Amino acid sequence: MGEIAEVLIIGAGASGAVAAKHLAEAGVKVVCLEQGRHVASTEFYGDKPEWELMSQRLWHPNPNVRGLATDYPIDTSESDVNPLMFAGVGGSTLIYAAHWQRFKPSDFRVKSLDGVADDWPFTYQDLEPFYDHMDVEMGVSGLAGDPAYPPMTPPPLPPLPIGKIGRLAAKGMNDLGWHWWPAPQAIPSRAYRGRSQCARRGTCMQGCPEQAKASTDLTHWPDAIANGAQLITGARVREITVNAQGLASGAIWIDRDGVEHHQQAEKVIVCANGVGTPRLLLLSGGDRFANGLGNSSGLVGRNLMMHPYAATVGYFDEPLDSWLGPAGQAIHSMQFYETDKSRGFVRGAKWNAMPTGGPLGMRSAYGGAPLEEAWGENLHRATQKRFGHSFEWGIIAEDLPDPENRVVLDDSLTDTDGIPGPKIIYRNSENTEKLIAFHLERQREAMEAAGAKSISTTTLMRDCGWHLMGTCRMGKDPETSVLDQWGTSHDVPNLHVLDGSTFVTSSGFNPTATICAIALRSVMHMLETRADQRVAS
Amino acid sequence: MSTLSATQRASLDAIADVLIPAALGMPCFTGAGDVAAMVDHVMALRPELTEGLKQALDRVGEGEDAAAAAERLNQEDPGGLATIGLVASSAYYMMPEVRRIMGYRGQEQRPATAEEENDWMRDDLLQPVIDRGPIYRDTDGV
Repeated sequence: MGEIAEVLIIGAGASGAVAAKHLAEAGVKVVCLEQGRHVASTEFYGDKPEWELMSQRLWHPNPNVRGLATDYPIDTSESDVNPLMFAGVGGSTLIYAAHWQRFKPSDFRVKSLDGVADDWPFTYQDLEPFYDHMDVEMGVSGLAGDPAYPPMTPPPLPPLPIGKIGRLAAKGMNDLGWHWWPAPQAIPSRAYRGRSQCARRGTCMQGCPEQAKASTDLTHWPDAIANGAQLITGARVREITVNAQGLASGAIWIDRDGVEHHQQAEKVIVCANGVGTPRLLLLSGGDRFANGLGNSSGLVGRNLMMHPYAATVGYFDEPLDSWLGPAGQAIHSMQFYETDKSRGFVRGAKWNAMPTGGPLGMRSAYGGAPLEEAWGENLHRATQKRFGHSFEWGIIAEDLPDPENRVVLDDSLTDTDGIPGPKIIYRNSENTEKLIAFHLERQREAMEAAGAKSISTTTLMRDCGWHLMGTCRMGKDPETSVLDQWGTSHDVPNLHVLDGSTFVTSSGFNPTATICAIALRSVMHMLETRADQRVAS
Repeated sequence: MSTLSATQRASLDAIADVLIPAALGMPCFTGAGDVAAMVDHVMALRPELTEGLKQALDRVGEGEDAAAAAERLNQEDPGGLATIGLVASSAYYMMPEVRRIMGYRGQEQRPATAEEENDWMRDDLLQPVIDRGPIYRDTDGV
């Protein structure tokens, strides 16, 4: 048995890295358990000819497709959407697109403004200083003054060029009188704190071989480790342990030789994402918490939100170099973000104008269709139409919390250590379907205004569950929430959750900026109130 | 065994030339260079495809017309044909000659130049958005 950690963090992704860095810098003895491993930038295929081939398997964002031992299998047979994630140091930031989007003030007041879902237990203004701080730590590139937001502190780096696709998309939006803005990204437009300037390879979502994109293995873990944090990789946590006082006392974990260990801790922070965190809490608690640890509300695992993603692709005659990066977004739009009930639904979505990648596309998806549709001369025709001559307007559709959308423990599925895997039960709501239909119609207008010669749409991409939120929601009332506003369990005072599970609503934005800001706010509060906290002895 | 037999390779070439013919200025599959070596490379990187590929190719009859075989496979074993198509197109689009014709140098390193900076400002592109003013919902007092 090793030393007792002051703080045990489970998961080394976005929120775990932020917590580890700031706790370690404050002199706290931190141990972090991560089931994945360190991934070197040389392992990514973005700078190699095989990039597209490997993106369909080894670097696919769906763990069920990758099937690595470091992943856990997920039953998605009752879900409209597949959850996407990566286990490793840096977590899903290794393969995210690095859209660095703040939520808007209205996102924290959904119940008060629109009469649905719930208000958050804090406001945009409460979170704003932590957004500012994270912009600097991540090295965000962007442009202040976006009229879709209140005035804010400028990010540390100027925006990346919006490129041919961004300018084309912007001209279309201008013709319609619609909002757009150079997109904020956690990708450095200039060399920043040891990271390279973005090389625009456009392979962000399969890992950045340039060590440019802000993934937390680069931005946070080196500082955390330099300040004494102990990061143990290949450490799969089976259960959070509880002592006789009902406090979290550590975790049982299994190493890659199959040996069990018990890491004792005074305090436990779970940062295992919106699927992994409820899975672990449901696996923990023993007889004392038979319904799962921290689950007196019955809401652990419920209210899963995953942002259904739809998209419109426009095809143009002129060459657009539309394989050029960054992969995530050139410009964004919040023209239809805020609620307008005359549309027949509430809430809205952010749009992102994105490149369309390399020539291979998804050839494997064509089996069974008439041969001449996908192959033969039409293969060349379709490739020449799309490749280098198209861009995509994507829709991050806000989905509202619904307790029936949930993570549960699967009856039969297990990971390579025999630990029960999660099952996802998730259906799109009528509100979401109306929202997507409306936005796709507007995107068609935007593409036509931009001069598209032809247009195609995807109404729902099944492999789109990048954003895993809501499954341990924060709130003031222990009967209707799992955590308080600081991410502390209502039931177990030394148990904390700092990942996307904490979200009360999903917004229509990519969540990592908000996950990190919430983690930082919670950790700062933890440090300020350190002397008053109950801990396991 | 991860490599294809001579018969399997001949079937792959024949079917792949149906799927990827010479047209619209592009070469056919077998006209793109040493595709056999590239197919081996694809299978080395994606070994999980090998078994399905071999099974699909073994369904092609000796002397069967390639176009008819492709059509039949697509009806009887769409997954198998999709695997053939995936392996063939993956190899094809990595061939240097194909990339040269397409003007594609891969996901190249092309950092932004000074001329490209601030391209969002050029022609006052952003000015109309600024002129329209704020569009966020005020939450003061909510």
